Amino acid sequence: MKSRYEAAKNVFIDSIDIDDYIELHSSMTAFQQLQHSMEKPLKMILLFGRPGTGKSILLNRIQEKLKHQKEIHYFDTPAASEKEFFQKLFKVLTKKDLPSNTEVNFSSLIDFCKNLRGKREIVILLDEAQMYDAEMMEKIRLLSDTRSVKFVVSLHKTEDEDLIAKEHFKSRIWEVIELKNATKEDQTAYVHKKLLKKNLFEIANSIKAKDMKLIYRFTKGNYRECNKLMFTIFEISEYYDKNEPSKISYAHITQKIIEMAALKLGYINV
Amino acid sequence: MYDMKPLEEKWKKYKYKKMRPIYIGVVFLCIIIILLFSVSDFRSINEYVNKFYGIISVKKKIESSELVNKVLLNHALYEIERSDTLEHKNTNILNKSSELLVDIPILDVNDVKITNIQENSVPTKISLDIVETSSISAYEDVEKRFAQSHDIDDALFLAKSYFKLAKYNKAMYWSYEVNKLDNNIEESILVFAQSKVYLGKKNEGLSILESYIGKSNSQKAKLILERIQNDDLH
Repeated sequence: MKSRYEAAKNVFIDSIDIDDYIELHSSMTAFQQLQHSMEKPLKMILLFGRPGTGKSILLNRIQEKLKHQKEIHYFDTPAASEKEFFQKLFKVLTKKDLPSNTEVNFSSLIDFCKNLRGKREIVILLDEAQMYDAEMMEKIRLLSDTRSVKFVVSLHKTEDEDLIAKEHFKSRIWEVIELKNATKEDQTAYVHKKLLKKNLFEIANSIKAKDMKLIYRFTKGNYRECNKLMFTIFEISEYYDKNEPSKISYAHITQKIIEMAALKLGYINV
Repeated sequence: MYDMKPLEEKWKKYKYKKMRPIYIGVVFLCIIIILLFSVSDFRSINEYVNKFYGIISVKKKIESSELVNKVLLNHALYEIERSDTLEHKNTNILNKSSELLVDIPILDVNDVKITNIQENSVPTKISLDIVETSSISAYEDVEKRFAQSHDIDDALFLAKSYFKLAKYNKAMYWSYEVNKLDNNIEESILVFAQSKVYLGKKNEGLSILESYIGKSNSQKAKLILERIQNDDLH
């Protein structure tokens, strides 16, 4: 027998699928800010924030929204090598596949881009940019200087990398958009909207404000952590629903289950 | 799917760890409350004990005061009984001594008539406050009382007392006061006559006695008359 919690669990599988995008006040603001920046004659835009603050899905969302208006391309995973990156870029710019045994001449690529100025405006959404080294970032800057290619660089913000990242990009970046963790209200709306989007009204209704307070305390408003915790909560609930139904309340998510999920994920320890 | 048993055990440990400060706090609070109650109870017990002993001591005081009162009352009753006995005895003595009829020829009052004492009932009330005393203040107290009550016994007492003290003028004065109230009191007539003699008025004394003997034929008056005549009064 299929548990009601199985569908709820799957809602929170972490993905950057545009269908999973949830319109929230904070994400709407970030979206509008990014869209407005892209209208400006800027060469590079930095999308900055801690992991799980919604950078990737925002890039996806903006690509989906503007793909019919602009020549916009999303580079989700960093290329394993410089060669691979420029092959990928060559294909986007020339709309032609490069033979596998050939390498892109960077100088030729710059010249090509210079020739495109005024004719085409290409936007490259570069996710996980912290993976690129300094030499690679310097080449990206040179490409953006041609004014025919605009880069939106998404960068993780971590405790150690924060200052390094800012220092590395400050001379190259024209505008910075910072994404922050969700507020408690935003996170509550996020969880409920996600469940309601899949018609899981009863389960959405079973998550009370008190439960969300606890969830927020563990996840600190981070969307990725929230997804992980909610997934684990519903997975534990699914187990009890199938094996020990007396230990579960269908009216609300018990504090015990939330704490068990937090223990499982290491948010709290014994 | 997770193995829930270890996770549940982990959660129980976490819960216990989380609740431990609360448990400790509750236990600590309970101890404080118990201590506070103990102290307050101890005080209230002390108050109760103090009150209890207070009641006992008050009772004891009341009992002891009652005992004292009883003793005093018994003593007073004993004194009254004793006084009554004395009064009774004195009455008998007076009755015995008042068997004589004496006429008292008083200088200022010539027509003093001595009647039979037995016929006129002798006042039974006798002051026993001061029977014999040498204190001057005691006589003064009796004099003051007489001024208010005009009790013949007080006057007779003063007359005899002053006579014994050789204060013959005062003895004459109080004998005269007795005579004004009752002119048949032999003792006052004899005190008056003898006081006259002691004051050098022997003839007046003799005259009074002769007059009284003529009325009463008092043997005692005759004896005193004989002594005066023989100058053997002392």
